[in-house]
Formats: sequence, C-alpha cells, structure tokens
Amino acid sequence: MSSDIIYEPIEDFGLSKKNKSKTLFSKIGIIGCGLVGQNFARVASFYGMEVVFIEINEEKIKEAYISIGKILDHRIEHWGMTDSEKRAILTRIKGTLDYNDLAGCDFVVEAIRAIDRGGKIKERKEIFRKVEEVVDPECIIATNSTTIVITELASELQHKERCISMHFFVSSPEARIVEVVKGLYTSEETYQKVCKFVQLINRKIVPVVESAGLVSVRIFVVLLNEACEILMEGIALMDDIDQTMKIGYGMRMGPFEIADKIGLDKIVRWMDNIYNEFGDQKYKPNPIVRRLVRAKHLGMDYGEGFYKYDENGNRITEKGGNC
Amino acid sequence: MIILVLNCGSSSIKYQLFDMTDRKVVAKGGIEKLGMKGSFLNHTKTNGQKVVFEGEILDHKSGIEYILGVLTSVKHGCLKSMEQIDAVGHRVVHGGERFSESAFLTDEIIEVVTKCSDLAPLHNPPNLKGIQAMEELIPGIAQVGVFDTAFHQTMEEYAYMYGIPYILYKKYGIRRYGFHGTSHRYVTKRACEILGVDYEKQRIISCHLGNGASIAAVKNGKSVDTSMGFTPIEGLIMGTRCGDLDVGVVTYIMEKEDLGIKTANTLFNKHAGMLGLTGVSSDMREIEEAKKNGNERAKLALDMYNYKVKKYIGSYMAAMNGLDILIMTGGIGENAAITRAGVCSELEGLGIEIDQEKNNSVRGKEAEISAPASKVKVLVVPTNEELMIALDTEKIVRERVKS
Repeated sequence: MSSDIIYEPIEDFGLSKKNKSKTLFSKIGIIGCGLVGQNFARVASFYGMEVVFIEINEEKIKEAYISIGKILDHRIEHWGMTDSEKRAILTRIKGTLDYNDLAGCDFVVEAIRAIDRGGKIKERKEIFRKVEEVVDPECIIATNSTTIVITELASELQHKERCISMHFFVSSPEARIVEVVKGLYTSEETYQKVCKFVQLINRKIVPVVESAGLVSVRIFVVLLNEACEILMEGIALMDDIDQTMKIGYGMRMGPFEIADKIGLDKIVRWMDNIYNEFGDQKYKPNPIVRRLVRAKHLGMDYGEGFYKYDENGNRITEKGGNC
Repeated sequence: MIILVLNCGSSSIKYQLFDMTDRKVVAKGGIEKLGMKGSFLNHTKTNGQKVVFEGEILDHKSGIEYILGVLTSVKHGCLKSMEQIDAVGHRVVHGGERFSESAFLTDEIIEVVTKCSDLAPLHNPPNLKGIQAMEELIPGIAQVGVFDTAFHQTMEEYAYMYGIPYILYKKYGIRRYGFHGTSHRYVTKRACEILGVDYEKQRIISCHLGNGASIAAVKNGKSVDTSMGFTPIEGLIMGTRCGDLDVGVVTYIMEKEDLGIKTANTLFNKHAGMLGLTGVSSDMREIEEAKKNGNERAKLALDMYNYKVKKYIGSYMAAMNGLDILIMTGGIGENAAITRAGVCSELEGLGIEIDQEKNNSVRGKEAEISAPASKVKVLVVPTNEELMIALDTEKIVRERVKS
C-alpha cells in the first residue's frame, strides 16, 4: 500500500513561497553531559526539542544515556510518565564526540564537569571558540556557570552579542526556575530569545545582573558555612540542623543534604571564586568542608559527604552525626 | 456551499472539506507533530489518493496555510482559489456555561471563548489559534465554533452540580459539563432518522465508546445527563483514564506514593483505565486477544468495562423513566461486536435484547442490532462529528446571510 502514497516536500505548497523559516528552538546543543547536562538534555527533549550532546569519550556518552534513562524509569515507576513518552524523549537525544554535529543548533549550552575543567576559564574559552566555528551566527551560546562571568568568556568570540549565562539548579532539577544573566556584550535580542527558551521548557526566569555566585549560589554558600560553624561549635547535631531548616523554614532539603547532592568539590570551587571576587571572609570554605574534600568525601555520588549513602544514592541513616 | 472543518489540537490539525450540496467530503487530512521535528501533512484527495507532505510546520498558522496551499494547488488540490471556501467550522472543546449551541464567531464571541480557556487549558488555546490563523489568512471569512460541551448545557442543575461547597461552583465554575456533545447529538439525531421516529419524543442513551468514552441520556431531543463531568476523566473506564473513582483513593495514593499534582494527573489519565488494569494495552483488540490466551486480568478488565457501561445504562433509564433507543458509537462501539454483546447481555429485564447474529455481522456501519422481541431498539451508528460541524456551520451562516 505504501507505494501508492505520494511524497512531496511541503515547502512547495505554502501560500507565500518565501516562508521556509524554522522553529525558534528546534535543536539544542550541550557540551558536557554530567548531571547538569543530563538534566538539560532531558528537559529540552521532554518539551520536544532535538538534543545533541558532546562528551569526551564513548564511555561517558553511554554513562549519560544510562543515567538519563534511569531518571526517566524512576519517573515511570512513580507514575509521572509513560513508556512511550520515555522512548520519544530518548530518541530525540543524541550523544557524540564530534563538534561538527552541533551544526544547525539554535542554542548551545556549555555544562562541562567541574573536575574536567579544573576551574580554569581557558578551557571554557576554547569550547566557546570551537562551538562558534560550527554554528550559525544566530545560534546562542550559553554557559551554565554561576561564578565565571560571561563577559570574559564572550570577549574573544566573533559574535559576542550571542553569549549569555544561565543557571539550572543541580540539586533539584525539577525546580521550575532558571537564573538568566546578561553579560556586557549580550544583546537584548539574545536575552529575549533565551527568556523565550526558558518559557518553552516551562521554567520561571529570574533576571540576574552579572555577578559571581548569582543569587542562588551566593546565598547557599553562606548558609552552608554558617551551618558548618554551628556544627563546629557543637551547638546542634548535623541532622537536627537540616531538620530545623526543612521543617522550620519549609526547605525541601537541609543545607548539608543540598551540599552532598551538589558535590563538595564543586562547592569549594564556588566558594573560592566568590571569595576571590568579593574578598569577604563569610564566603571562605569552612574547615569542615575543606576536610571532607581532602578526604574525598565529596557527596552523594561518592558514597559519602556530610552523610553516608548506598550505591543508589539513598542515605544510610546513622543517629546523631557529628561529621 | 463549501465548508472547511478544522479540529486544532496542541500538536495536530485535522481537516475535512465538505461540499454541502451533497454533504460529501471533497478532501480531508491532518497535520501531525506540529511544531516538532518530523512534522508532516497527510492528505487524501477526492479520488482517494493519499499524499504525504513532509517538512517543517512551525505553528497553527503555517499549518493552516499549508492546508490551504494544498487544497488550492494545481497538482493535489480541489479548489481554484481560497475564495471558494464559504465558511470554516471549528471544533472547540469547551464552551463553558456560555454556549449551549454552536456560535458564529465574531470578535466578542472569540473573547468569550478565550475566557473559557481556563476550564480547558490544554484544548481551547489551540482551538483559538486555529480561529485566529484562519482570520489572518482569509480576512473576513465566516467562522463558526462548535462546542463539545454545548449539547449537554440542557442538563438540569441537579444533574450537573457536584456535592461540594457551592462557593466553589461560583468561584471556579466547577460543575459537570460533559464532552463528546457533537458526537452524541449527531448519533441520536441520526438514529431517529434511521428509525423514522420523532427526535423530540424519544428517550435515547448513546454510548460513545472510543479511546475516550462517555454515555449520554437524551430525552425529547435534550441531553439530560452524561458520564463525563468537569473534565473528561469522569465516568466510564477508558483506554488509559480511570473513570469514576472515590476521591479518597486519590488523596490516599498521593500520600502513599508521595505524588505531586502533575504526577497524580498523569497516573489517573495515562497509567490507569484498561492499560493500568491489564498491563497489556489500552487497545480493546489487544486486550480481547490476551483474554483469549488466558490472561485473567484482561478478562477482569473487560468484565469491569462492560459492567460499568451497563450500570450507566441502568441509571440513565431510571433518570428518563425508561428507554426507547440505545446507540453504540465510537471506535469500540462501532466495531467491537464482543463489547456490544457484553454490554447488552442480561438486560432482557430492562427490555434490551440484541440479535447475536446481526450484532456479529456489523462493523463500522449503520444498523439495527436489536432482537425483534426487544422493547428497546439497539442501533450501531458510526459517529461523524465533522459532518455535524459542517451542518451547524452551514445553518448558522445561512441564517446570518438571511438576517
């Protein structure tokens, strides 16, 4: 039967032949598919966008697929999604090693892991340059960093006006909020387009002026430092401090729980960066945080941070907790 | 009169072009995956030839533009120009309490439809996009909105209110609205035409059994009750929707499984119904197959499905003090003889008896399937919402021209 069907390109049948435009955001590129990259890929694909992510080796690509699949399975098990929706989401996501696959992207986000970049801005600049080589001039290039300023990253690009910074929350990927930061070079058009993108993925936009730590990270690091201080002074137990913030202030997770989820190495880097920027002691990593990082107790993904975790990331409850 | 009927969904547009002189469909088709990668337009020409147009279709406006482009093209079209289209009829899901019949779409009326979007946030906005796109593409074209809820606006207050604080009705319009109205209206009218009886003097129950399913009680030409309520989840067990459910179950599950509102919504709308019960499929044919192979849960689900329909038939007979005509329609009602037989079994006491042989021979066509002794006439009437929309559109546009 199928041979009886005639196939035609639809463009020949428009009323006005000129309109061969495309959707504002049909293809999204992601550099680095760690936790943030995976969340980004999953959310964009959920909302019908095609996603290409770049990783450094085949192994990492596989890992990313498995990890995204796991999160979707978890959603299905908890009734939030159907199997066919999962299949549709996964088929829209493509992992690759080749930057050329970013060609045709409308939006590229850099979200490389903290460990891989070693806190150096040089590597991000190199990535931005490589991305710019393959994408169209209209393509928006963004970073998911909170402490690195976008103006510096943009400064060496051909089209500086297309650079922007946005911050997805790692600790709670379902949080429907994104911080969007305009750099010195960022054009109003780029900003508006990104706002549109954030709306498309059903998140709220928080406009933030370019500043290390934005809102979320800057407040959080101080909160964590103060929590550590209280712990050190022996005023209250770790779990009780978390409970106080959770039950008392309606936070979904306590400061120590959030820290373990984000990863302590990442937090130390945040703290160092913000401290360097503002010079205020309150941003300096508390000795407890430093000690845990030295011991490689980096958080949930490592089986131990402030708390201990099993291989599924579930907390192993111990009474008390003095770190 | 040439009428284009449009049904705009969030990522799809279905269309049929009618020549009202003989009520024939001149061309029909649909767009799928609108606004996504891999979107396409499926078109069936007057001679039955199928054509698939592939390429990026951005939004409702460009989708409708392509539909008009295809309809007027020399190669695959059937119209010389767009001006040949006399009017456009739109399926609109929710008309709230404001629309008890189809309406000519003026700016003020469109404004009212927009206000109804609150009640159907997923469905009304794309319907409206279709209306706006049409106005932009053929300025001044006559457009008519045909509402899914309108037919049921004749329900009495005691039938449509829920037993919840009255203030919530006042505040949010929470009440039963019912859906599939265009389908129920079409099949009940059509059944009376087939039987040659007066529509205004019959007590009819129509069972629209498809992927979504609802039953309506129609007395003297007016809908007096229907199984879907504030949203299309109430009533019968459907493909993936749970149907009637103790609200206590909802809050209990939400607590036990730690579910948010969105997830709970997905659970009861997409994981429930026949799919959730059987774990096999939401498709009746596959469930019947599983039952044949000895799947106990498939058997249970099918028994539950039939039992639920039966209970509704019984209660609507009570609501109307009897029954003259019982209609089966929708994908399952029109095609599944087994379901029809199951639903109508052991209802002799209520005067419903079907002729097994006739029933088994009917698939997707109009036919009476009741046994000669049956007091209630049982009919299969394939639904045709598009034709109903076209007929409404024609009527309303003609009346306007006259006045």
